[in-house]
Amino acid sequence: MPALCSVERETLTKVTCYHCGDACAEEHRVHDGKDFCCHGCEVVYDLLQESGLCDYYDLSQQPGVKQRASADEQRLELFDLPEVRERVVEFSEDGITRVRFHIPQMHCSSCIWLLENLHRIESAVIRSRVSFTDKELSITFRETRLPLPALVKLLRRIGYGPQITAGGKRDAGAQVPRMLYVRLGVAGFIFGNTMLFSFPEYLGADGEAGLRTGFQWLSALFSVPVVFFLSTDYFRSAWAGIRSRQVNIDQPIALGIAALWLRSLADVIGGTGPGYFDSLAGLLFFLLIGKWYQAHTYRALRFDRALEDFLPLIVLRKQGDAEEPVRVSDLRPGDRIVVRDQELVPVDAVLLSAEAHIDNSFITGEPLPVRKQAGDTIKAGGRQRGALIELEVLRGFADSRLKRLWAEQAAGGERPAMPRLIDQVARRFTIAVLFIALGAGLFWWGKDPAQIWPVVTAVLIVACPCALALSMPFAYGHTVRLLGKRGLFLRDAEVVERLSGIDTVLFDKTGTLTAREAHEVHWHGDRLSRKERSLLRALARNSTHPLSAVVAEELARGEAGATAATVTDAAETAGQGIAGVVDGMPARIGASGFCGGEEAQRTNGEAHVHIALGGIHRGHFTIRKRARGGMAEAVAELRRSMRVGLVTGDAQLDSGLSETFAGAPVRTRCSPADKSAAVQAEQAGGHRVLMVGDGLNDAGALAQSDVGITVTETSAALTPASDAIMDAGALHRLPGFLALTRKARRIVIASLFISLCYNVTGVSFAVAGLMTPLIAAILMPLSSVSVVGFVTVAVMLATRRTDASHAPL
Amino acid sequence: MSVIFLLIAASTVVALVFLGLFVRAVRSGQFDDDRSPAVRMLNDHAPAPRAAEAPSTNETTDR
Repeated sequence: MPALCSVERETLTKVTCYHCGDACAEEHRVHDGKDFCCHGCEVVYDLLQESGLCDYYDLSQQPGVKQRASADEQRLELFDLPEVRERVVEFSEDGITRVRFHIPQMHCSSCIWLLENLHRIESAVIRSRVSFTDKELSITFRETRLPLPALVKLLRRIGYGPQITAGGKRDAGAQVPRMLYVRLGVAGFIFGNTMLFSFPEYLGADGEAGLRTGFQWLSALFSVPVVFFLSTDYFRSAWAGIRSRQVNIDQPIALGIAALWLRSLADVIGGTGPGYFDSLAGLLFFLLIGKWYQAHTYRALRFDRALEDFLPLIVLRKQGDAEEPVRVSDLRPGDRIVVRDQELVPVDAVLLSAEAHIDNSFITGEPLPVRKQAGDTIKAGGRQRGALIELEVLRGFADSRLKRLWAEQAAGGERPAMPRLIDQVARRFTIAVLFIALGAGLFWWGKDPAQIWPVVTAVLIVACPCALALSMPFAYGHTVRLLGKRGLFLRDAEVVERLSGIDTVLFDKTGTLTAREAHEVHWHGDRLSRKERSLLRALARNSTHPLSAVVAEELARGEAGATAATVTDAAETAGQGIAGVVDGMPARIGASGFCGGEEAQRTNGEAHVHIALGGIHRGHFTIRKRARGGMAEAVAELRRSMRVGLVTGDAQLDSGLSETFAGAPVRTRCSPADKSAAVQAEQAGGHRVLMVGDGLNDAGALAQSDVGITVTETSAALTPASDAIMDAGALHRLPGFLALTRKARRIVIASLFISLCYNVTGVSFAVAGLMTPLIAAILMPLSSVSVVGFVTVAVMLATRRTDASHAPL
Repeated sequence: MSVIFLLIAASTVVALVFLGLFVRAVRSGQFDDDRSPAVRMLNDHAPAPRAAEAPSTNETTDR
């Protein structure tokens, strides 16, 4: 008797597609001496080859975008509709039209190059320009020769189909406001020139008195825009703080600016000294650099999304035999709509067609489609996979489950406020400064009343927490950048601080811990010959059941390019399996009973697919969702230092994961509201919660948590609102990322001490009445530059150490 | 030494001109995208291929 069970695994020499870089697993085509993974990639290659655009492949390795039908793509004819045109057309006159598309697929220099050379592929295109930071493409073309739908078709053919959703037009405003650049330029100009004017003072040159006063007055003139144009934000923020009775970092800054300016003006007018105008300009210049650095974040990623961003703008409604386009929001119960392959069902609806395969991964993260039959209700947010289906609208968009889910997220409980470290420090700092100024004033009152004004203003001037205000933007700004290089994109620098305080991590399971499209497949039974594998593969391809696709993929492993067998009499029995004759051999794939086998022992979360050939049961495949690589170690590491929990909508855990989470709080069968409540419960226990999720059903929990991280596999994917977006491949590095944010916080604290040392030095000069403009001019830039330098180097070293001690990328 | 005043005035005017140019550059959007221009500069020298020439002659006849 042969071995009952032999686990078969084949090693696969990895052939990757010349165009998109994916492994050529399902299909392997060799064309023009190059490997391709699918027909789509081959077509793009040919197109570029014909147009002489193969430089595309030289600029970056395997730059292409895999040709996958995407639900975000609208039917071409829709681009003729006024609603859609209005969205994209910026300008149209004399047959020349300029459109602006959002193309999230662009990711490298090859993309930029290809998209800007569109005119070589299609001569009707006059000019195309990419704005990479916004992932936008603006195209000027002759519409008389190339209608808009044809242009969209061309973009799709090369893999850069534009995305148009029902959401509002993307705000064109850049995230680093232009005003900030203007302010920075003005500040630099004034800083440089005022230093120049102060040179006679620095050198102590006696020179002509007229020259020196001339320079002083020039400096005073230049200081007017510094106070009334560059500093307005600080005064406004400080005033807002006073009105809400809160101390923030901008108040001591505003106080310092005001003291600097008034004192300097008094000095110049009274002829008692040159004033501190150079220090004032320098202060603003450094502060604005800090602001600019902080404003640089991931502009192309959107952390706040409206539900409308996820939905198609237009759906097709059936009126008798005719189909007419209609806005999703205009759908009424009873309308009949048509949804094609890969399209999202936008409202709750009843299926009219015989069957549908609905992929709910957008909602739950579960990638395997669910089979629905005529009469079943399909909830909004499901994606059809397979043939075109017809549906009858059950509820209008505003009442759909999806809309309610979203509303719940938006209305979710108040996220507990976390005081910013810098504001806490600022409070004590401001109080201390005011006391010192008061004390110094009282001291000099008794000794030499004429000194009160100079001493008190000098104290306020040197105490201005410029270095203090710079340390946080730079430390956290660097951290944001270094994390971004490693796959975690934070909304802004403040998220770093919130992440550093996390002591509880909650994971979603499906789509977060388990990969969306990866399955672990094992064969249990006699070894199948190559011929048999190829027969079965052909049959499995004929089946519409989602598991069949997994089986077909498994059977195709390492057999790239093999010829497909012909299938006759294929018949699928719902819920059972598929039977057919392949190259004369009767074959069956499906449930145990259907294939004449016995039910095998099953572990949690496992699916079995049985195989029969020639009427004899040959064995079965076990299919299990695969957890992402390295997660077991990552979770184990997290558990050493914090609480780790799991919230999942599923009833049970897969066997692998239940070991990883043994003894940890695991909540199963969670509705979206339960997940959010789970986060709230942890917060009520005094914990700071990090939620890691992916689907829309995690949206509420993500919003409720102290920090919500959305895991995504492609940069173009739509993600619910969150504080951070993480590349799925980087998830196992989460412990390292958290450790890095904690280090960043410690670095900020250390840099606060350094800047306090400068302040103490400065204040001791000031109290003694020795604060000359020269000392201020040296001390102020020195403290700023040294704090920024320290923070930069320290964060870089911390990152290097974290990289070395944690899982590699 | 009073010539210094003249020089200072002149240099300040020059600096103001540059400041004005900078502000104009910001307003025209030159600082909005800091990635693609860098790549564009490297890409442009690619030789125009034959395939693209044929349609471009059509374009001239169109005009």
